[in-house]
Amino acid sequence: MATRQVVVRCNYKTTVKDPGVKGVLIMMEDRIIFTPNDPTSVKLTIGLESVQKQLFNRKGNHKEALLNLILDTAINGGRCIFEFENFSERDVCCEFISKFLTNKLQSKKSCRKDPKPISEIFSDEQLSTAEMDFRMKLLEENNELQKLHKQFVLSGVLSESEFWVTRKELLSTEASKALKQRVGFKSAMITDINPVLDGRSNKVTFNLTPEIIDQIFAEKPAVHKAYLKFVPYKFSEVEFWRKYCRAKYLYRESNVAAVVAAADDDEVIASFFKGDETLANDSRRKLRRVDPTLDMEADQGDDYMHHDESKGAIGLECDEYNLSHNLNRHAAVVLQGRAEHVALGNTWTVAAEALSRSKQAGLDESATQAARMEMVYRMVAIEDLQDPHHKLPFAPLSIKDPRQYYDSQHANAVRNVGDAEFSTKPISHDLNTQHTCGSLKNLILDMRENGFSDPVVMPDVALKVLKDLTQHHSSTKYHIIGKSPQENVLDRLPEENKKEVLHHSASTQELLKHFWSSYPITTSYHYTKVSRLIDAMSEIYLKLQGIKESVQSDFRHQISQLVQPMLHALDTAFGHYDTHTQNRGLERPNKYA
Amino acid sequence: MKFQIEEITVYFPYDHIYPEQYSYMLDLKRALDAKGHCLLEMPTGTGKTIALLSLITSYSLSKPQTPIKLLYCTRTVHEMEKTLAELRLLYTYQVKHLGESAQILAIGLSSRKNLCVNPNVVSGSTRDSVDAGCRKRTASWVRELASTNPNIETCQFFDNFDRMGSDNYVLPAGVYTLQDLRSFGKEKGWCPYYLARRMVRLANVVVYSYQYLLDPKVSGIISQEMQRECVVVFDEAHNIDNVCIEALSVSVRRQTLEGATRNLSKMAQEIDRLKATDAGRLRAEYNRLVDGLAQRGNLPITDAWLSNPALPDDILKEAVPGNIRKSEHFLSVLRRLVQYLKGRLETENVEKEGPVSFVASINAQAGIDQKMMKFFYDRLHSLMLTLEITDTDEFLHIQTICDFATLVGTYTRGFSIIIEPFDERMPHIPDPVLQLSCHDASLAIKPVFDRFQSVVITSGTLSPIDLYPRLLNFHPVISRSFTMSLTRDCICPMVLTRGSDQLPVSTKFDMRSDPGVVRNYGRLLLEMAAAVPDGIVCFFVSYSYMDGIVNSWNEVGILQEIMQHKLVFIETQDVVETTLALDNYRRACDCGRGAIFFSVARGKVAEGIDFDRHYGRLVIMYGVPFQYTLSRILLARLEYLRETFQIKEGDFLTFDALRQAAQCVGRVIRSKADYGMMIFADKRYSRHDKRSKLPGWILSHLRDAHLNLSTDMALHIAREFLRKMAQPYDKAGSSGKKTLLSQEDLEKLGDRDPADMLF
Repeated sequence: MATRQVVVRCNYKTTVKDPGVKGVLIMMEDRIIFTPNDPTSVKLTIGLESVQKQLFNRKGNHKEALLNLILDTAINGGRCIFEFENFSERDVCCEFISKFLTNKLQSKKSCRKDPKPISEIFSDEQLSTAEMDFRMKLLEENNELQKLHKQFVLSGVLSESEFWVTRKELLSTEASKALKQRVGFKSAMITDINPVLDGRSNKVTFNLTPEIIDQIFAEKPAVHKAYLKFVPYKFSEVEFWRKYCRAKYLYRESNVAAVVAAADDDEVIASFFKGDETLANDSRRKLRRVDPTLDMEADQGDDYMHHDESKGAIGLECDEYNLSHNLNRHAAVVLQGRAEHVALGNTWTVAAEALSRSKQAGLDESATQAARMEMVYRMVAIEDLQDPHHKLPFAPLSIKDPRQYYDSQHANAVRNVGDAEFSTKPISHDLNTQHTCGSLKNLILDMRENGFSDPVVMPDVALKVLKDLTQHHSSTKYHIIGKSPQENVLDRLPEENKKEVLHHSASTQELLKHFWSSYPITTSYHYTKVSRLIDAMSEIYLKLQGIKESVQSDFRHQISQLVQPMLHALDTAFGHYDTHTQNRGLERPNKYA
Repeated sequence: MKFQIEEITVYFPYDHIYPEQYSYMLDLKRALDAKGHCLLEMPTGTGKTIALLSLITSYSLSKPQTPIKLLYCTRTVHEMEKTLAELRLLYTYQVKHLGESAQILAIGLSSRKNLCVNPNVVSGSTRDSVDAGCRKRTASWVRELASTNPNIETCQFFDNFDRMGSDNYVLPAGVYTLQDLRSFGKEKGWCPYYLARRMVRLANVVVYSYQYLLDPKVSGIISQEMQRECVVVFDEAHNIDNVCIEALSVSVRRQTLEGATRNLSKMAQEIDRLKATDAGRLRAEYNRLVDGLAQRGNLPITDAWLSNPALPDDILKEAVPGNIRKSEHFLSVLRRLVQYLKGRLETENVEKEGPVSFVASINAQAGIDQKMMKFFYDRLHSLMLTLEITDTDEFLHIQTICDFATLVGTYTRGFSIIIEPFDERMPHIPDPVLQLSCHDASLAIKPVFDRFQSVVITSGTLSPIDLYPRLLNFHPVISRSFTMSLTRDCICPMVLTRGSDQLPVSTKFDMRSDPGVVRNYGRLLLEMAAAVPDGIVCFFVSYSYMDGIVNSWNEVGILQEIMQHKLVFIETQDVVETTLALDNYRRACDCGRGAIFFSVARGKVAEGIDFDRHYGRLVIMYGVPFQYTLSRILLARLEYLRETFQIKEGDFLTFDALRQAAQCVGRVIRSKADYGMMIFADKRYSRHDKRSKLPGWILSHLRDAHLNLSTDMALHIAREFLRKMAQPYDKAGSSGKKTLLSQEDLEKLGDRDPADMLF
C-alpha cells in the first residue's frame, strides 16, 4: 500500500456539544495526529490500532459533518470526535479509516489461528469493559475530572492507571453502590392531583404520572385494593382512574352529598372510601413495636375514670378525607420509603410494587424488642451526668461540598471578626522539626498506653482546627473583598479568570498529589514519573505567573492572593526535588537513569 | 457515685450530680425523717425522678430495721415505663456496688389489658372487655363448674398460678416493667396480672398510675393492704387536683340510662331463673346482707371487682337497709331511680343543684331515701356475685348509675349536680347529660394523706406553690421550689405578640379565626421550620382549633410549604394513630429529615411525652390554653373555690392555663446539656398578670427584650440562639457557681446545701 496521508482542517471535540479545538488533522498509515492551531492546547496522537470503529452522521443541510472514532477505551477516554468543514472532507477521512479497519479485521482473523494471541498492546492493566464504562461515566458526569484527565493523561504526563489509582475511593464506593442515590417520596404531599380546567368546555383534566400513582397506592391502601380487585377484570385502567378522579373532583368541589350518592351507585367509588381493615391490623401490629415510653394506647387500660364512649361510625368523612389522618399517613409512608430500583415505568409495576410493600414487614418482631428496650435505657440516662467515657455513638462529619460549607460559614466568621477583631492569634504555620517530632512522640506514647481511642483525633482538637480553618479561610476572603459576606471571592472575578484559576488549582493539586506520592523514589519508574511531573508543574507555574500578570489591574491583588498558595506549594515541591536530585547525584549517580 | 446526706449513704448511678438534685434529696430526706408530707417543685430537665428514686431506695437501704416501701404514682402508663427504666439503671448500679443486700423487688402494676398474656382474653379491645373476658374464665364459680365440666373454658395461666399455692410463686428480685412481667408470666405459664397483684404486698417499689391510689373504686381493691410505712410519690403532680376531682365525678347520659334499663331486665330474668332453680342462694345472700356487708375481705381475688366509689372512712359499717335486701326489691328501687333520672334528663334548661336538694327531690318523687342510696353500689355488687354474672362489661351502665347514687347519697358538700340538655358548643344537637361533679380535690386525696406517713408531691410546675396545700388541704412539712442553675442559657423562652406584618396574634375568641392571625401563625411556623433543625412541637388550645387552623393552612398552601422543610405529624383523638404518629415523628427526627408535631395543650401528648433533645428544639405554644370557660362544671368549681378558699375566678383560670402552657413547653429540656426554645405566641402573654404565673425557671430566662416580639425578630433570635448552643462549652460550669458536682465536690461540701454556697 502506498504511503498515503490525509491532511484536513477540523475541530476536535470530546463530546458532541463541546465547541471543540480548531486544528489540523493528519492521518497517517499507523496513526492520527491532531495539531491544534493554538500552540498551548494539547497535541493529540492516536495510534490507528486503537480505533475500534467509526461512526458518522448523515449528510444533510445545516448539519456539521461529524466523525466519531470509538477507540480502545484506555485511550483518550475511549473516543474522539472531529468536526469537519464539509462532508466531502469528512468522507475522505472515513474512507481512510474504514480501509484500515478492514485490514485490521483480516489480520485479526489470521491472528486467531495463531495460538498465541497478541496482547498487551498499551495499557499496563487489564480492565473489564464494565470498569472502563464506569470510568467513562465518571468522567462524563464530572466535568472537572474530565478536564484533568484530558490535560494530564492525554498529554502523557500521567498514565491512565496513575490517574485512577488516586481515585480509588471514587471507583470503589460509587461502584459498590448502585451509583444513583435512592430517591424517596417527597416530603410535601401531592396537592390533590391538580385538575386542569380549560376555559371553554366543561372538561376537567387530571394528570397522573406513575410516580403519583405509586404514592396514591402507598398512602391509600383502599384505592390500591380496589385497583387490584377491579382493574383487569372489570374496567380498563383508564376507566378506573377516571372514576377515582371523578370522586376526587366531586369532593374538591365540596359536594359531599354527590360523593355519597356516587358511592351508593358505584361499588368502586364506595370502595375508595371504605376504611381498610388491613390498615387497622397493620397499625395494631406496629403498635406492638412502639417504644413503651410512647405507648399512649396502654393508658386507656389504666383509665378507670373515662369509660369508652364508643363513637358512632364517623363514616366517609373520616377515612378518606380527614386531613389529619392523611397527614399522618403521608408522613408514615414517606418515612417508610420506597424500595430500591422501582422502575416507575408503568402502572402495573407500580401496583405490584405497592403490593409487595404492603406484604413485607412484620417479620422482625422479637428481635426489635431487645433493641427497643436498649434504646429506652439509653434515652432515659442523663448524658451530661455521666463521665465522658460513656460515649454516645458519634456520627462522622461529612461535608458534601466543602466550598459551599466554607461559604456558608463565612457569615459567622465575619461576625466574629466584627466582635473581637479575630480572637485567635495568628498561628505559626511553619512548625520546626523538633516540635513536630516531640508531639508525634507523645502521641505514640499515648497510643501505646491507651490504645487507639475511638476518635483518633480528640474532639476538641478537631473542633478547634475546624474552627480556625473556617475562620481563617473566610476571614481572608473577607479581608480581600470585604462587604457582602455571602459573596464568594471567585464570584467577583471575571468568568474566564475564575475558570482558569479553578482549573489551575485543580491541576496543581493533581500534580502535587502525584508528586508527593512518588517519594521516596525507589524505582526508575518513580524517577521518570517525577521528572515528567516536574516538567508539567513548571509549565503550570509559568501559567500561574502569567495569569497574575495578564489579569486586569482591579483584580490583580485578589488573584495573586489566590494564586500565591499554589505557587508556594509548587515552590516547595521544586525545592524538594532539587535537594533530592542533588543528594542522589552525590551519593549514587545514575542509579535510576 | 456514692455520697453522704447526713447519715444516709446515697447511691447515685451517675458520676456527677446537679447541685439542685442534691438540694432536692436533702429536703426530701428531711421530710422522710419528719415522717411528713412535702411539696417540691423542680424544673424539668434536672433529673427529678432519678434523684427521688435514688434517695428513697438509699434511705430504705440504710435503715434495714424499718424498711420503707415506695409507692410511685405516675399519670400514664408510658411514664410508668420510663420510671421503671430509670429505676433499673439505679438498681443495676446499686447491686454492683452493694451486692445482694441491695436487691429489691420493683414492679409496675397496670390493668389486665396491659398485663394479660392469654391470647383469647387480651384480644378484647377495651379494658372492660378484657376484664370481663378474664372473669369469665377465672371467677370462682366458673372454675368450680369447670372442674366437673371440661367444656367450660378457663385460663391456663391463672390455673397454673393458682395451683402453685400462695407461698410458692415468687418473683425473683429485680425491676419488672410491664413487658418483663408479661415475658416472665409467659415463660412460667403464670398469670402476670394476678402475680403482680399478689406481689404488690411484697414489693419494695410499686409503680402504678394515680388512680390506683386516688380513685376509691380502684384503690379499694389494689392499695388496701399497703402499710403505713410507705412513701407515696406523685410525680408530675401539677394536675393532681383535676385527677382527684375526676375520680369522684360521674356523668350519666341517655345511653347510660337505656343501657341500665336493659341491664335491669336481664338481671330480673336471672333472678327469676335462679328462683326456680336455686332459691337457696338468694336466701343466703339475704341473710348475709342482714349481717352487714363484711364479705369483701374473704372474697377470692378473682371475684373482687371495683370497690365502692365513696371513700373508705365514709362507708357505714352497718347492715343494708331492709327495703333493698331482697333482690326483687332492690331491682325495683333501681328501676325507679333510672326512671327518675330519665325524667330529669328531659329538661330544656340547664339545671344546677346541690346533692342535698337533689336527694330530697329523689326522695319526694321516687321514694328513695339518702341512706338507701349510699348502699346501692355494694348492694349491686353483691347481687351480681349472687347471680354469678361474669360479663361485667355488659353491666357497666347500671354500675355507673349505682356509682352515682352512692356518691350522691354519701356526700353533702363539695359536689354539684349539673344537667345540661345540649353541649354549649353544639346547641342544635340534643345531647342531655347529667353530671355529678366533685369540686373539692381534697376529698379524694385525704385518705392518702391520712394513711401514709410521707406523701411527696412533685413536678416541674407547681407555681404558685402555696396554692396546692390549700387545694388539697394538707400541711406539708417541706414546701420548696427549686431554681435551675444552668451552665449556659440553654432555654430560650420568647413571647411573640405580632406577626411579621406587625398585626397582633392571639387565640382570643374574637381573633382566632381572623385570616390575618391564621396566616401569621402559619408564617411563624414556616419560617421556624426553615431555621430550626430536627424536631418542632406545636401546641394548640384545643382539638377543634387545631383542626380548623391546620385546615386553613392547607387551603392557603402554607402547609405545603411547611412540608417542604419537615414532615408533619398530628395528634388525633385516636390514641393508636397518635402513638404511631409519635413513633414516626421520633424516627423522622432520628434520621435527620426533621419533623413537626401538632398537638393539643390538654391532650394526651401534652400529658407526659417528652420532646427532649433533637426531638424538640422548639416548642410553639399557640395561644393561652384556657379551659373552656363556659363549661358549667368549671363555673361550678370556680364558685366553690371562691366560696371555700377565696380564690378569684380569673386568678384560678389564669393559673390553670399557665401551668398547662408551662407544662407543654417544659417538655423540651431533659438535662443541662440539652437546649430548646419556647415561643409563647399570643399577645396576652406579654401582660404581666398572665406571664407572672409562669414558673420561675422559665421567667428567669425570659429577658425583657424577648417580651414583645414579631415573627422576624423571633426568627433572628432563634438563629442566634441555635448558633450559640452549637458551640462547645464547659459542662461543669464556668466561673462562679458550679452546675455539675463530682464526688469530691460533694465531700468538700459536707452537709451544707449547695444552693447556699458559691464555689
